[in-house]
Amino acid sequence: MKHPLRSKLRRTAAVAAVAALALAGCGTGSASSPTNVSPSGQIVPRQISWLLSRPADGSVITIMKKLADDYAKDHPGFSLNLITTPDRPSYIQKYETLAAADKLPELFDTDATPFAQQLAKQGKMMDVNKVLKDLGLYDSFRPAALDYQRFDDGSLYMVPMQFELEYFWYNKSLFQKAGVSVPKSLNDIPAMCTALRKAGITPIALDGQDQWPLERYVSYEPFRAAGPDYITSLKKGQAKFSDAPGQKAVNWLDALGKAKCFSEGFSSQGYSDAQNAFTSGQAAMYNIGTWELSSLATDKLNAAVRNDIDFFTLPTTPESVTEANEFVSPSGIGMAVNAKTYDPLVADFLKFALTKYPAEYAATGALAPTTNVQTTIPANATPLYQKALDKAKDLGTKQIMPWDTQLDPTSNTRLQQELTLLVQGNTSPADFTSTMDSTIAQNAPKFFK
Amino acid sequence: MRRGSLDSPARKAHTMLPTRSRISVLVFLLPPLLVYGAAVLFPILQSLVLSFFSWNGIGDMEFVGLANYVHMLTHDDVFWRSFLNALGYLAICLVLQLGGALVVASLLLSLRRGRELVKTLYLLPAVISTVAIAFLFERIYSIDPVGLLNQVLSWVGLGSLERPWLSDVNTVLAAVSAPEGWRFTGLYMLIIYAALLAVPRELEEAAILDGASRWQLFTKIRFPYIRPVWITTTIMATTYGLRGFDIPYLMTNGGPGQSSELVTTYMYKTAFTSTDYGYASTISVFIVAECLVAVGLIVFMLRRKADA
Repeated sequence: MKHPLRSKLRRTAAVAAVAALALAGCGTGSASSPTNVSPSGQIVPRQISWLLSRPADGSVITIMKKLADDYAKDHPGFSLNLITTPDRPSYIQKYETLAAADKLPELFDTDATPFAQQLAKQGKMMDVNKVLKDLGLYDSFRPAALDYQRFDDGSLYMVPMQFELEYFWYNKSLFQKAGVSVPKSLNDIPAMCTALRKAGITPIALDGQDQWPLERYVSYEPFRAAGPDYITSLKKGQAKFSDAPGQKAVNWLDALGKAKCFSEGFSSQGYSDAQNAFTSGQAAMYNIGTWELSSLATDKLNAAVRNDIDFFTLPTTPESVTEANEFVSPSGIGMAVNAKTYDPLVADFLKFALTKYPAEYAATGALAPTTNVQTTIPANATPLYQKALDKAKDLGTKQIMPWDTQLDPTSNTRLQQELTLLVQGNTSPADFTSTMDSTIAQNAPKFFK
Repeated sequence: MRRGSLDSPARKAHTMLPTRSRISVLVFLLPPLLVYGAAVLFPILQSLVLSFFSWNGIGDMEFVGLANYVHMLTHDDVFWRSFLNALGYLAICLVLQLGGALVVASLLLSLRRGRELVKTLYLLPAVISTVAIAFLFERIYSIDPVGLLNQVLSWVGLGSLERPWLSDVNTVLAAVSAPEGWRFTGLYMLIIYAALLAVPRELEEAAILDGASRWQLFTKIRFPYIRPVWITTTIMATTYGLRGFDIPYLMTNGGPGQSSELVTTYMYKTAFTSTDYGYASTISVFIVAECLVAVGLIVFMLRRKADA
């Protein structure tokens, strides 16, 4: 899951990051085995660091700071140093560079990427499956939240800190004006866009600058046509874009582009541009997750559209092998535990923090990664808030993994570039297919040996 | 004039330096030389070594010989695309920076009042931060909400030219090059203006008395006189242009597709997104070589012209 950040700021940070890769606060504990979850010895309080990619004023950081302060009361000398880089691409650069220098701190954020899997294989991350079981917390986690963090082989090396559901938000009054209804199938969306365009409405607001929002769209058709296995095969070069599920995605995106579903110049529009287009009533649809509930389902939302907003989940297709209650339900970037610096202190702090964290997190109005707490609906929420949260109770067993966390980084970059060209009509579906298949064939073997 | 007669005073001064002074000169030169070696030469050498390896940062380094170079030069379509883009970017920057600077500096000479004000105004963009410039131009090029450029086009009746300048694959390269060109025009203008001021008045007056036109005055008197400065500014602008990174990276991140990808942004992505440090080093060696070749060509061409 990505966070709301102006893309300019994120690239600014990226430029700065080149010069600022040296990072303090790396622990020097004795090396530990990734499966030795209860290290022996005394708890010696010291400063530990968490390299993370979350909004600086967001709930996760606020809560963890508070919990660290509480822990320090009983353990004088303990402190938690939070080093955040909310902008994801800059964060990944920082984290990968530190990993290359073997200077990762006690805790660090990562998605279940091929790079992270290599770190896990080298024994640099604690086996979170064992850690959570040892702490007696494993069963309280939502299975979907844990599954999102797993690598393909089912192994688990990251702790989920949140749980989100991604919906298609839409403006009922704009739909009515254009005479369209909620699409029953993904295949209905191009025609819907044409009708909305005829009525002078931008069909879908899209943050093209950050790339990942458009990349979500490429994952939808294959997930409906072939389930979650397609991407796990595609990323290794075992499946191809020229296969039937891939071609469905390519042709569907080509159709979305031809039907002018996205605003003109979408590729240079940022996160807030896209959100503004939807909340100001210019765009009819907006694909975003529950992390935006406070903007979309509270009285913070523009009063002019507040009563017109609703959402639907990812439509199915006639031949769909996945269910309507199976869509993108990410548990966000996970927290990995450095095996090299795992000692009695880190283990004890994790037990303390992870036990108390879910209740504190749910109190902020967000979905906790565990099922043992109840989310508090904010006082200024619209009825949509509860409706959006309730879907979490009725999820299927499969979920869409965002492709940007699955593909090797070079193929992912190329896919993001080619997708923009495909939707803008600058490349044909056939050229797109051959470019992507050859790119993956060339780069996947390096990452999936 | 014999060549030797020009050189001899300098040589004499050199031999006249007492031994103690020579040693002190060396002593004072050594620390900056060491710093230069550590900060510039060492990383270049390190990149050169790394370019023969395949390394993802966390695995073992694998010696691959010239494989990275072979791949870069023969198999990598993105590399060639970004190289051609970089040449386009360079051409636009040079025309705006050097051409613009020369025109403005020449006009400035004929200005009787307000020279300081004009100079300051032209220099202003050079002191604004890159990030601010990127933000500014992103808004200027925007179509939704309508930015300055599209607004002006529609006012003057050229509404058909309105477009999302940064999303159109045909305009994006020029759109990201222009801010970089615009930004440093003032700086080069200042250098060239200073050089033009140093052209002896009596030479110009003599030429005017001989009936030289303004154009002849410029091509026969002024330009030959400022040639050494022109060489320096051309080298500066070219090497800056070849190393251009920040504005394209901030404005489009190389997109849409690879339409505004430069060799530098591609190298950055290869290193820090793809974690292919060996291959990124290969590209960086190419950038160093490319800059050296460009400087060599400029010096060669301008020297030959001067001798002709």
